[in-house]
Amino acid sequence: MSQIILHIDMNSYFASVEQQANPFLRGKPIGITGKRSERSIVATASIEAKKLGVKTAMSTWEAKKICPSLILITGDPEKYSEITHRFNKLFFEFTPLVQEFSVDESFLDITDQAKDWFGAVCLAQRLRERLKEECGEWITASIGLAPNKLLAKLSSDLVKPNGITLTREEDAITRLDSIKLTDLCGIGSRMGARLNDLGIMNFKKLREFPLEELVDEFDSYGYWLHEAAHGREAFEVSSEEVDPKSIGHSYTLPKDTFDPVLMQRYLLGMCEKVAWRMRRDGFVANAVSICVRYGDFSSNSKQHVFQEATADGFQLFELAWRLVEIVRDKGKPVRLLGISTSHLSHASAPNSLFKKEQKHLSVLSALDKIQSRYGSDAWTRASLLPIVFQERASGLAYDHEL
Amino acid sequence: MHNILHDSVDVLATFADRRVRPLHMRWNDRNYSIKNVNLVHTAREGQKKIFYFSVSDIANYFKLRLDSETLEWHLVEVYSS
Repeated sequence: MSQIILHIDMNSYFASVEQQANPFLRGKPIGITGKRSERSIVATASIEAKKLGVKTAMSTWEAKKICPSLILITGDPEKYSEITHRFNKLFFEFTPLVQEFSVDESFLDITDQAKDWFGAVCLAQRLRERLKEECGEWITASIGLAPNKLLAKLSSDLVKPNGITLTREEDAITRLDSIKLTDLCGIGSRMGARLNDLGIMNFKKLREFPLEELVDEFDSYGYWLHEAAHGREAFEVSSEEVDPKSIGHSYTLPKDTFDPVLMQRYLLGMCEKVAWRMRRDGFVANAVSICVRYGDFSSNSKQHVFQEATADGFQLFELAWRLVEIVRDKGKPVRLLGISTSHLSHASAPNSLFKKEQKHLSVLSALDKIQSRYGSDAWTRASLLPIVFQERASGLAYDHEL
Repeated sequence: MHNILHDSVDVLATFADRRVRPLHMRWNDRNYSIKNVNLVHTAREGQKKIFYFSVSDIANYFKLRLDSETLEWHLVEVYSS
């Protein structure tokens, strides 16, 4: 017997949590948005809204145009974060091999617990019942069962909401031949277009395409494509937490602006948040990147790699602002700013020989203790008093732990 | 109609089986009987634990905030159908 992998995909996750909390939203088209709905996107649309044509990541004005009855709800990241922890904890009742794939998706290796496909389907049904008990009747999931993660994820996408779909090894080819190339996780629209340029329009053609030519064209990804076309994948369910490659924050400003002082304030605020997360998790960075998006949705970005690692918000700000000034088109109003640190390592920031810098580091350490005890609003820089950061639920990450 | 508030309210609740269940709330000189507790979640403010209760009566949805340090209740959200 091969592996039995279960993929759980929460249905319209943030919207379902809101409908669970507020019964008067049930059965209605709702969209979960960021902090200011008029400059935001729909992070999640409810099942009812999706039926009326509203899609995830659609701008709110476009969504309202398509569905005038759409109810926009400001996201509540704390609530979603706790429910995510709750259902992932529940999955450990079934197997120790649980991998959180995103805020609303997880993989479970249930080979030893299920024994065979019949046992796997019974376990999936039991899991669905437990989910209802722990999280509420309105928070549902689609479950995919297959011999690997790739096919399990594909299977969970097939019946929504609240489906259980099984794909055995012998069903893999039929399953793949019934979908588009880009329906498979790992083949995006750009890759789909490149494959189409090679005359590969579906999985049958991909299987027939010579492996050597795939590898010539795509290097190691060519091997993956070849295996995927046969419904095979070697990645195992891993419960180990992997260190992040970068830590970042972006923010849509309340209004598009030309004002450098306002931009500096928001950038400094974001640098402080990023630096706090780095210090809290024991990281220092040797690179900083910025992103500037304009009112017309065009954008610029730039990265700077430096020698002396840091986790100091103000130092990050000085480096980041220099980058902003290099790339910023001063003739266009700025809509969004983003900052990200990378080249991360586990270390504490190097001690300085200079007394002033030593003092600064000890102040920072004291402020971190205050923030840990009293929360992120416990202190702020005087220069940041005129601005307010509002929480958001982007669908990829939560802000409230900053 | 959806309103975000931070109004101090009186809540009658049971504390049983390690669970808190709000039963009645007094807000703006009016009593509300809580029909359903739809969702309970917690949040941290530093080391302080805050409980949020998403509850409803026949016509309204309320979000109640319980501060576990001071045991103060606040009404933070109201949605009327």
